[in-house]
Amino acid sequence: MSHSTQLSTARMQGLVACQFCHTLSRIPEEIQNINREEDTSNKTNNVELHCPCCQSVIHSRIPDSLNKTWALLIAAIILYIPANTLPIMTVILWGNGQPDTILSGVIHLMDAGMWPLALLIFIASIFIPILKLLILIGLMISVQLKSRWKPRDRTILYRITEFIGRWSMVDVFVIGILVTLVQFGNTAMVTPGLGALSFASVVILTMFAAHTFDPRLIWDVIDEHTDKNRNNNED
Amino acid sequence: MTNQGTQQKQTAETLSHMACAHCDLIQKLPAMQVGEVARCIRCNNVLYRKQKNSLNRALAFAITGLILFVISNLFPLLSLKAMGLTQEGTLLSTSISLFQAERPFLSLIILLTTIIFPLTTLLGTIYVLMQVKTNRINRYTAPLFRFLRSTDAWGMLEIFMLAILVAVVKLGDLADVIFGISLYAFCLLILSLSFLSYSLNPHDVWNRLRDIKGCQI
Ligand SMILES: [Zn+2]
Ligand SMILES: [Zn+2]
Repeated sequence: MSHSTQLSTARMQGLVACQFCHTLSRIPEEIQNINREEDTSNKTNNVELHCPCCQSVIHSRIPDSLNKTWALLIAAIILYIPANTLPIMTVILWGNGQPDTILSGVIHLMDAGMWPLALLIFIASIFIPILKLLILIGLMISVQLKSRWKPRDRTILYRITEFIGRWSMVDVFVIGILVTLVQFGNTAMVTPGLGALSFASVVILTMFAAHTFDPRLIWDVIDEHTDKNRNNNED
Repeated sequence: MTNQGTQQKQTAETLSHMACAHCDLIQKLPAMQVGEVARCIRCNNVLYRKQKNSLNRALAFAITGLILFVISNLFPLLSLKAMGLTQEGTLLSTSISLFQAERPFLSLIILLTTIIFPLTTLLGTIYVLMQVKTNRINRYTAPLFRFLRSTDAWGMLEIFMLAILVAVVKLGDLADVIFGISLYAFCLLILSLSFLSYSLNPHDVWNRLRDIKGCQI
């Protein structure tokens, strides 16, 4: 296969791409050697390379990507429980307070016949956060198991989570607007609940998690495998 | 115009090879025409977008956006009329009312995503583009543009716009919702911001910074 021999990554060529200005820089030999031995990867953290053009810190792969992403994901999963069980807001009408969770809010909208709105809030507040958590957990497990299953599709899944995650904030903003507008003393009032803060934290933590996950890890397994195959064929 | 055209052609050539940000594959950039997009052959990630007049258009949309942002914050976006009382809502009052409702963190999140990040994006983009266009960059230009690129996802005004629509439908049954003067400016602001992010090609800024600094690849 002459085609596969043309494929070569920046890391294989001893280069690092700047994540901002995309300038390729050569990694000094001594750091390259440390990089190859995975056990001593801690040492590379001490050596910081800077992009010659924009001076940003550059690295071949996001340092400690898996640990950081797991930490953020676990924090998000833990906070997902209060986000769904605690009230996101309380609507007080004529002195009677009615606390709403995310799910009961959607059910109330359905009861009131506001189907399109119920669907929108369901997608933004329930479907997208769960989907995003599941996709990120799936990607993390696939990388840790060194899976070679459909890397292109997994990379596209990653891009989808990166893009849609922030839209879950819509419910938090709705609560903010309702709290601001509905302030008529005891007759009508909306107060924000702890669930809203937990939910906003889940959205923010998963946004950070998507940011610390390095999709190049998906492809490293593939590249190592083709590298090995190439060496075997030469024997 | 022609002068700038040739300049952009030159700068596109300075970045002859690119490593895909999502799969690390090194690829030679093809000769591209305006409007064309180069994608990674392996993972389909967008590598390079060739755009016409990106910096001028982005600057125009950023300045328009800044003016609209100021107008959006001067007057109420929405008012609610019930029992002879009127309650007004602006971007800032949303953060303030959450702070008063003893939710300081929620208030901070809303302040950052609806005011601070959108404003720094607009001001910062104008500043960087002005510097790049007049060839007067200093050592803060590159770090500032890096900051703007990495905080791009945290300005959430378009999501706030959707939230306004949801709130209007929700409140419509219970009370009179009055659209404020600023709401029209706010709608236009959302348009300018999306045109800004569409027309601003970060590659063009980096290429110009590389040109001015004479940085070799
Ligand atoms: Zn750089
Ligand atoms: Zn790629």
